[in-house]
Amino acid sequence: MTIMEAPQATRRLTTSKAMVEAIAQEMERDPSVFYMGEDVGAYGGIFSSTTGLLETFGPQRIIDTPISETAFIGLGIGAAVEGMRPIVELMFSDFMGVCLDQIYNHMAKIHFESGGHVQVPMVLTMAAGGGYSDGAQHSQCLWGTFAHLPGMKVVVPSSPADAKGLMTAAIRDDNPVVYIFHKGVMGLPWMVKNPRTLDEVPEGEYVVPIGKARVAREGSDVTVVSLSLSVHHALDVAEKLAPQGIDVEVIDLRSLVPLDREAILTSVGKTGRLVVVDEDYLSCGVSGEVVATVAEVDPGLLVMPAQRVAVPDVPIPYAHDLEYAVLPRHDRIEKAIHAVTIR
Amino acid sequence: MSSLVLFPALSKETPDAEGVLATWFVSEGSTVAPDQLLAEVQVDKVAAEVPAPAAGVVHLLVDEEAVVRQGAPIARID
Repeated sequence: MTIMEAPQATRRLTTSKAMVEAIAQEMERDPSVFYMGEDVGAYGGIFSSTTGLLETFGPQRIIDTPISETAFIGLGIGAAVEGMRPIVELMFSDFMGVCLDQIYNHMAKIHFESGGHVQVPMVLTMAAGGGYSDGAQHSQCLWGTFAHLPGMKVVVPSSPADAKGLMTAAIRDDNPVVYIFHKGVMGLPWMVKNPRTLDEVPEGEYVVPIGKARVAREGSDVTVVSLSLSVHHALDVAEKLAPQGIDVEVIDLRSLVPLDREAILTSVGKTGRLVVVDEDYLSCGVSGEVVATVAEVDPGLLVMPAQRVAVPDVPIPYAHDLEYAVLPRHDRIEKAIHAVTIR
Repeated sequence: MSSLVLFPALSKETPDAEGVLATWFVSEGSTVAPDQLLAEVQVDKVAAEVPAPAAGVVHLLVDEEAVVRQGAPIARID
């Protein structure tokens, strides 16, 4: 073994490149892994989830499909129960409506209905989220809906390193894993610039265990529990409020199923104040689940009522100003933090 | 010996086309390895990656979001 004397080059990747690196490394390692979906071949994924994979692995393993989500997700499930490890891309989470039977009645239930005899080691990837005027049918998150339905794990990375580590873990998992990437965390040149979408990513094999939240920023005054792009907004607000003497702790859930309730309780036990920031709809979803996690164990942990910052129960508007008004952005997060830290 | 990194020629028809330095993947003064990803550039809707031609310490000659003519130097590696 050679010991490198030269200074180590720091290597930063965007989230999309980190995700592609994980897929490529697992495809090199395991010939049963393949990727399938709309525009994932020559186009490289409309949000750059598969850029360059066709050139490396060819059309037998990087498979462009027709616009037929029920058929190709069903094809993925069939391949998975026969022992392959398919990664199937649903272009937008919004499109779940045309293929949900395959997802929640088949992909998510085969293991249960076979008495545990049949495994479905499949990854279902999808783009989610708004902020770029793509309208009500192309801007939703909907991760709370997938997390509500039993039988599948749900991961929602926010950082480049987690995108790589969670993809590796999802491919190797013997259960169906829904892997949801917000378009705003991918680091795409044509999206709103977000410096947090470019960061150091470990080279070689890198696994992030599914079901463990991450303390994205330590703080002592208030806990902000969040996920995906909202983590970046929460960190921006935390940095803005620090000079004002408000020390914000930011918890990045990373995974909704399993949900790391311990991490939520530990942080709220320390700060006594809770703000949940979620780009999914407000009612009956992730933000309510996080608050319930505290209320069920010990409501006395909270010295102030919890605040939720989410999309109100309306379709996402197309008009830029209206869209920004419903999204959980910096202004609303800051207001919620002030509401729970008022003395 | 230092080497210059040039904005790649993405448009063949218009050799003096201008593009945008979309993303720097390295920061000023960092040490890079050969073929390490330095930048992503864009001409119209076409994006391309710019790898490091050699090992060394990189110096960035243009800012992110800057408009750059094809073939113009964007970085120097010492």
